[in-house]
Amino acid sequence: MVRSVAERAFLPTRNLLEEIGDMMILTGRTVVSALRPPYPYGGEFVSQFLFALRLCWFPLLISTVCFCYAAPGLQAANFLQIFGALDRLGGFFVLAAVREIAPIVDAIVLAGVAGTAITADLGARKIREELDALQVLGVDPVKNLVVPRFLALMLVTGLFDIYAILFGMFGGILAELVKGAPLGPFWATFFANASTVDLWGSVLKTTLYGAIIAIVCCYKGMTASGGAEGVGRAVNQAVVIAFIGVFSFDYVFTQTLLATHPNILVIK
Amino acid sequence: MAVHQGIAHEEEFEWGVNRPSGAPDAVEFVDVHKTFGKNHVLRGLNMGLPEGQVSMIIGPSGTGKSVCIKHMVGLLYPDEGDVIVQGQSVPALSDDDLFDMRKKFGVLFQDGALFGSLNLYDNVAFPLRQHTEKGDEEIAEIVNRRLGEVGLSNAGGKMPNELSGGMRKRAGFARALVLDPAIVLFDEPDSGLDPVRTALLCELIKEVHAENGGAYVVITHDIMSARRVAEYIAVLWRGRIVEAGPSQELFDSDNAFVRQFLSGDSVGPLTME
Repeated sequence: MVRSVAERAFLPTRNLLEEIGDMMILTGRTVVSALRPPYPYGGEFVSQFLFALRLCWFPLLISTVCFCYAAPGLQAANFLQIFGALDRLGGFFVLAAVREIAPIVDAIVLAGVAGTAITADLGARKIREELDALQVLGVDPVKNLVVPRFLALMLVTGLFDIYAILFGMFGGILAELVKGAPLGPFWATFFANASTVDLWGSVLKTTLYGAIIAIVCCYKGMTASGGAEGVGRAVNQAVVIAFIGVFSFDYVFTQTLLATHPNILVIK
Repeated sequence: MAVHQGIAHEEEFEWGVNRPSGAPDAVEFVDVHKTFGKNHVLRGLNMGLPEGQVSMIIGPSGTGKSVCIKHMVGLLYPDEGDVIVQGQSVPALSDDDLFDMRKKFGVLFQDGALFGSLNLYDNVAFPLRQHTEKGDEEIAEIVNRRLGEVGLSNAGGKMPNELSGGMRKRAGFARALVLDPAIVLFDEPDSGLDPVRTALLCELIKEVHAENGGAYVVITHDIMSARRVAEYIAVLWRGRIVEAGPSQELFDSDNAFVRQFLSGDSVGPLTME
């Protein structure tokens, strides 16, 4: 009786830990497969890269402009205006847009648009036993399906970060113009606070977000079960887990970056 | 009506009777156990499937038949015990050796498992392109011959979603045969087919086996298919062998479970539970 209650209570935790462990193993196998010859995934890599690019560029553009215009733009501008310090909005945008909002919006769009498509595609193949057939035909699904998606999502997420920063800045400029302030002081405080650490930190962080999204979405797709309903469930779980993974990693990365580069803590 | 409605009557018949087939085993299961969560699917399975014959693994639904196929090709590993394919222990193989070993197999999955992004011709050519150095002309000759054997000569350009269930199975059969495998596995080839097409597919399996030889293993719970095709039968229930042996001996068996299952009788140790 006690044992069965304990089993029921701890089963979800055990399943969760098993799943995390499986994703870690998949990450290791993916990295090893990516590095070990042969490299048959070039074509699939290009096609996945273009696929993600085509799906995500427009949603990301709209999301970054609107979010940066509304949240750090208008909201922060209202606050700064009280102190007559609207020129500090540029500096604030280094903290808000470059370090956090652009990477997070980038990750959300990539996970929601490209990641779900990957889970649905691999999940449907799993249900149709295509993945089993591939393995029986001597084709390694990790090398041929996971590795190209992993590399493509890492690259595309990293590149899209720069794109998101540019359009995020555009949102800030819009807010500044709406408030009737000149852009010179905005740029002055922006460049006074910006450093190369901010840029490479942001790009590196999003590249690793891409890796997290790819592993979670591939894993959930390749372990989908229970027909069409199971694929839907896998897609839903993939998005939730990818978001949790990205946000948790953001905390770890930001803490580490601030600890190792204390100069970026200083607001100029 | 004398249908049993109580607990399963495992005591009413003998378990684990293995009659010799007269041929060495192509695939052997040695005391294999497999559990999924709380579901103990294989419970000490001991089974040998002979070389050069069409073997059938039959048994009620959910008794672990498809799990057996996945163990043979290393898609699943036993929790305990061993699976031996032509003298090689599958769980002991490294990933590279496993990929090599799988070239011995052709597998027809339940719905054909054709690759949705490739047309029929490319699906059948896929193993040849993947594993051989053959040129386009030689590949075309082999693919067209195999498609002809399964009656799909004119369907090479069609996509899998344009095919009926029976056509997908035949195309999957052609793909399974294209590398001339030593062992061909069929996972419920009759599921979703009408009786006439099931009979035709069984005839096709017999013809192709007569022509190519090798060990064929068919998983089914269709008794008519077993009567048509099987040379060796293994009756599986609750993850263990009830009785295995040459098909005629099984059809004449006095084991209560085997007799009930092979005659499709409602009276016997097998109940709805």
